[in-house]
Amino acid sequence: RMEASCLELALEGERLCKAGDCRAGVSFFEAAVQVGTEDLKTLSAIYSQLGNAYFYLHEYGKALEYHHHDLTLARTIGDLLGEAKASGNLGNTLKVLGNFEEAIVCCQRHLDISRELNDKVGEARALYNLGNVYHSKGKKVASAGTHDPGELPDDVKNALQKAANYYEENLAIVTELGDRAAQGRAFGNLGNTHYLLGNFRSAVLAHEQRLLIAKEFGDWSAERRAYSNLGNAYIFLGEFETASEYYKRTLQLARQLKDRAVEAQACYSLGNTYTLLQDYEKAIDYHLKHLVIAQELNDKIGEGRACWSLGNAYTALGNHDQAMHFAERHLEISREVGDRSGELTARLNLSDLQMVLGLSYSTNNSMLSESQVVENSLNGTRPRAGRRHSMENMELMKLTPEKVQNWN
Amino acid sequence: SQPLAGRQAAELQSKVVPSKQILHSDNMEMEPETMETKSVTDYFSKLHMGSLVYSCTSKRKSK
Repeated sequence: RMEASCLELALEGERLCKAGDCRAGVSFFEAAVQVGTEDLKTLSAIYSQLGNAYFYLHEYGKALEYHHHDLTLARTIGDLLGEAKASGNLGNTLKVLGNFEEAIVCCQRHLDISRELNDKVGEARALYNLGNVYHSKGKKVASAGTHDPGELPDDVKNALQKAANYYEENLAIVTELGDRAAQGRAFGNLGNTHYLLGNFRSAVLAHEQRLLIAKEFGDWSAERRAYSNLGNAYIFLGEFETASEYYKRTLQLARQLKDRAVEAQACYSLGNTYTLLQDYEKAIDYHLKHLVIAQELNDKIGEGRACWSLGNAYTALGNHDQAMHFAERHLEISREVGDRSGELTARLNLSDLQMVLGLSYSTNNSMLSESQVVENSLNGTRPRAGRRHSMENMELMKLTPEKVQNWN
Repeated sequence: SQPLAGRQAAELQSKVVPSKQILHSDNMEMEPETMETKSVTDYFSKLHMGSLVYSCTSKRKSK
């Protein structure tokens, strides 16, 4: 009677998670654990699903705990396939937590067992996971520096090259298996790895394949991701017109998917692209669209970034009053969110603008304007390097909460 | 002072024309992770299948 109850609770948990309600699923699984069962395979399945549910809920500490329980249990009962799966899940969780070395050990275990069991599907999945761990490892170190993609220290390059090799190995197997969805995922991440390595042509080729597969499946989200990644690669190829076309398709799909955060990101990318094309009117148009959505989503960091970009674009057009307005707003927001480098950038922009405005306002009084110039140039002794640095550090907050995807 | 103002403005303008550097903020869109899944349903159905196979074979044997 108790056995049935544990099973019933677990089955309800499974049903809820599959329906996308992980939060409710978790409470049923936890109730099932409370009731308990003698059947260790059932318990292992419950632990595994609890781990995955917490993973999708972004509660990685809890995910780690349950996948670890699952691994211990699988080993205890000598369930090799179960051990491989638990190792893979533990590896993915450790990766998200930034513990790359342990993640590699776990994913390697997943790979070794899959090969031992001659499980091609498992082998391919382990290779994809290993690629992801090395990609994250490389990206983490790379993001600490301030270089363009392609200009990387050796350890970063090595990690990314390994990631590329694992994705290629994965691709060879899933192509043989005819698993198009898996091919799509591998092409996407391979493309991003090439992008970071500075192989922009290869990145384009991979993302084009990803796009093709996304269209085959009618997967709009994947299609939108491909457009966005293609846009990024074309920026670094210096083909800004092409980049703008891809970003426009991203924007179109973001609107169809009714994803405001992604729409904001697309507008921001378009604003930057038109700035590179020196079409400041269009740049302002898109940055304003980005600003509106950032305010709507109460995304202060995005709002600050929009103000900074707008200040720049208006300055480029010589509209110093508007430039001043947005520089002031940027300063306010930087203070509000405690962004010290943003605050410094804003101050420097403001003092530059004040200088220009001060001069143009005082053209009928040459004495005053001369003294103003002196005063301003005295204030102008400041670290120029600091400004460049702060610009490079305009990092993008990931706006989109990753959705519960691919439960199965 | 007008030419000076003009010069300052021009300098300011050239300073703010962004380089590719700003695009560091561009979002790289990764594919989703794949998690391995276990299910009590799978196990349950295997159990069920097992007992079915058992009952069939035992019936056959008894005949």
